[in-house]
Amino acid sequence: MKKKAVITGIGVVSPLGIGHQDFWNNLVSGNSAIAPMECLDLSKYECKNGAEVKGLNPEEYLGRKGLRYLNKGTKFLGSGAKLAVDDANLEIDEELSNHTGIIIGSSLGNFSQTTDYFHDIVRDGPSDLSPMQSYDVALNSSINYVSVFFKMKGFARTISSGFTSGTDAIGNAIKLIQNGKAKVIITGGVEQISLDLYMIFYLRKMLAGSDGAGSEISMPFDKRRNGFIMSEGSYVFVMEDYDHALSRGARIYGEISGYGSLFTGSRNSDIGKRVEKAVNTMKSCIDDAGICTDDIDLISANGNSGKLSDLIEAKAINKLFGESGTEIPVHSVKSTLGESYGASGAAQTASALLSINNGLVPPTINCEEKDPECSLNIVNKKLEKEINTVLINSFDLSGNNSCLVVKKYE
Amino acid sequence: MSRVVVTGLGLVIANGIGVANAWNALMNGKDGTAELKSFDTSQYKVHRACEIKDFKIDTVFENETTANTIHKYTYTAAKEALKDSGLGDITGCNRERFGIAIGTLAGELPPFEYLLRNTPEDKTNGFDMGVALTYPPSSITTLLSEDFGFEGPNMVSLNACSSGNHAIAWALDLLYEGKVDVMLVGGGELIPQTEFTHFHNLKALAPEMCQPFDKERKGLIIGEGAGIMVLETLDFASKRNAEIYAELKGYGMSCDGHHMTAPHPEGAGAIVAMSNALSMANISYADVDYINAHGTGTPLNDRMETMAIKSVFKERAKGIPVSSIKSMIGHTMGAASAIESVVSCLAIKNNAVPPTIHYETPDPECDLDYVPNEGRETKVNCVINNSFAFGGNNVTNIFSRL
Repeated sequence: MKKKAVITGIGVVSPLGIGHQDFWNNLVSGNSAIAPMECLDLSKYECKNGAEVKGLNPEEYLGRKGLRYLNKGTKFLGSGAKLAVDDANLEIDEELSNHTGIIIGSSLGNFSQTTDYFHDIVRDGPSDLSPMQSYDVALNSSINYVSVFFKMKGFARTISSGFTSGTDAIGNAIKLIQNGKAKVIITGGVEQISLDLYMIFYLRKMLAGSDGAGSEISMPFDKRRNGFIMSEGSYVFVMEDYDHALSRGARIYGEISGYGSLFTGSRNSDIGKRVEKAVNTMKSCIDDAGICTDDIDLISANGNSGKLSDLIEAKAINKLFGESGTEIPVHSVKSTLGESYGASGAAQTASALLSINNGLVPPTINCEEKDPECSLNIVNKKLEKEINTVLINSFDLSGNNSCLVVKKYE
Repeated sequence: MSRVVVTGLGLVIANGIGVANAWNALMNGKDGTAELKSFDTSQYKVHRACEIKDFKIDTVFENETTANTIHKYTYTAAKEALKDSGLGDITGCNRERFGIAIGTLAGELPPFEYLLRNTPEDKTNGFDMGVALTYPPSSITTLLSEDFGFEGPNMVSLNACSSGNHAIAWALDLLYEGKVDVMLVGGGELIPQTEFTHFHNLKALAPEMCQPFDKERKGLIIGEGAGIMVLETLDFASKRNAEIYAELKGYGMSCDGHHMTAPHPEGAGAIVAMSNALSMANISYADVDYINAHGTGTPLNDRMETMAIKSVFKERAKGIPVSSIKSMIGHTMGAASAIESVVSCLAIKNNAVPPTIHYETPDPECDLDYVPNEGRETKVNCVINNSFAFGGNNVTNIFSRL
């Protein structure tokens, strides 16, 4: 009998609010976090909107000591982790620290701080740089910071797999709980908006508005959709071995019971092949959870407003779910939250757990002129419904397709 | 649960390209250190590194920017490993059961550096379409998946100097779970000026050479390259009569939870990593024949690692050969533990261990058998491979003769 991986704490640092209550209230109310970006000078570029984290006071969570050496991503992750651990009412004492690890997904980690450091080297010369300038510039230094902050002894792992990074980190964490490598794992995703992130999406014309026409908003599955809105934040969970959670009387938000991941196919693949890969991934995840498609009450779509990616996802859902594919409720948190890249699967996981606990599905806003090629039951108004099992889709057009099943705790 | 075996190896390192050349160079103590050529070091106090020399690119690149990517090394080593394993052509196989995991520390930083170096006034000059495509670390595995037609799970391990071992450990769990038949695993790294500067300003770079465990050791020499191996379930390997180098018996992970840059002074995390690996592999410390050390040549690491080995291997510690190939190929960062895993399998295959070169003055605090200066033929049935990264992120892998 496999051990069960349950979630007992949720920590959110997001453009829709700090802490999971604010995040949830704004998400179910359909309040959008999308606005012209303030942290970057985009005067030379046509795409200006984004979803930024605002109002985070990291000192509240991490204390003052050493804070000035930490970069934005580390403040996001550290604050998110502290919120999650406090939410779980968990004390990581010396004994438990030996059985506690951290696995976080982030596509870029602190890459933009690394390139800032290089920019300083070539502009000012290497000799004037102090070692403290590179204190927190390793791609994985945010995760190391959290492991040191909580004095964890188990393990620390950063997974980078593009858009599916957070999903893959959570999927890996389930397995390490199931095979007994840890009792507690701090898991989830983190990503930060930076000039680097902007440039790679902008040059690849993936951002909403990059075709020079249409509005710069996120419109998943709407026929006017024209790219995604970049977002940021950290979505962190305390995942526990069920028996451990039970023994300490922890509140359980739900179980992560299935995970599946496959490569999406090469960049030359046609739509048919891509649909097939998305179908196979969802299927392998549902099989991993030991359930069938009829058990799924809600699909948390990848739906990031990308022209091609939303179409592939809709066709894949139709294909896998057959007739019920047009009826099963589908929503995308990215309509209000934007596309948080390596953190997005973790953001969807937070939303799925809160849907299960509150009996509510957040609306997919801006889906007003439904794309006739995407024949899905898109939830575009807040929906009251008992939710027991959610399928989370996390798709990268040039990387993995990854899925999770989140289940009510029984 | 099927056992997991190694059936193919590929190496691109500073003292040899290709497994045969590299192994020969390692056993003969050939030093790959030379003047650093890929960028100007006149503003630094150190000018040496272990760069790949006389490399012929065996893949097609779209433009000048992408020609500077890690892909040139990972592709070359992966192609060698797949050919070696007999999986060069996987027509007819279920491609969704073939996955990839690659470790790296800095990822594709050099293409960005290459562009920005010449036009440093504005950071956006560091980006062109080539950089936009390769910059996300996941491009490393995406390119390999496309090259070799793999359609299973992918992961890039960003775990500093233990990235390669993390990737291998991650793959082992997938294979044990039965989700995949074959995993192409390893690590790749180039030498970014950023990391050179980082180590330089931390005063971690040795001026001339890397002398692990020597009393006069002065730090590490930065290196580049790739080490790739083919892992598969024993069932899958047996069905196709593949030749087997070794069994991957297990891994042990830990973190120090101590400091962002300094290792735990008594090696607490290193002890746990080695002990966990032995326990997962169900192997006694008395059965280990060779320790492929992390051995960076920094004063702190080598002392700590020696203490940790003594703590885990007790009365056997002084009788087990311990060597650091970083003395010859430098510290290849995210690729290091993957390259060392490949070398661990070669030690088993050849019943021989490569030396720690530049070893002259014994250090009373480092008093193990470091295989000084000359490679040695000796029975090798079981090897542990240590990696202890910045931030106290430790992973030890164990290989043994099947």
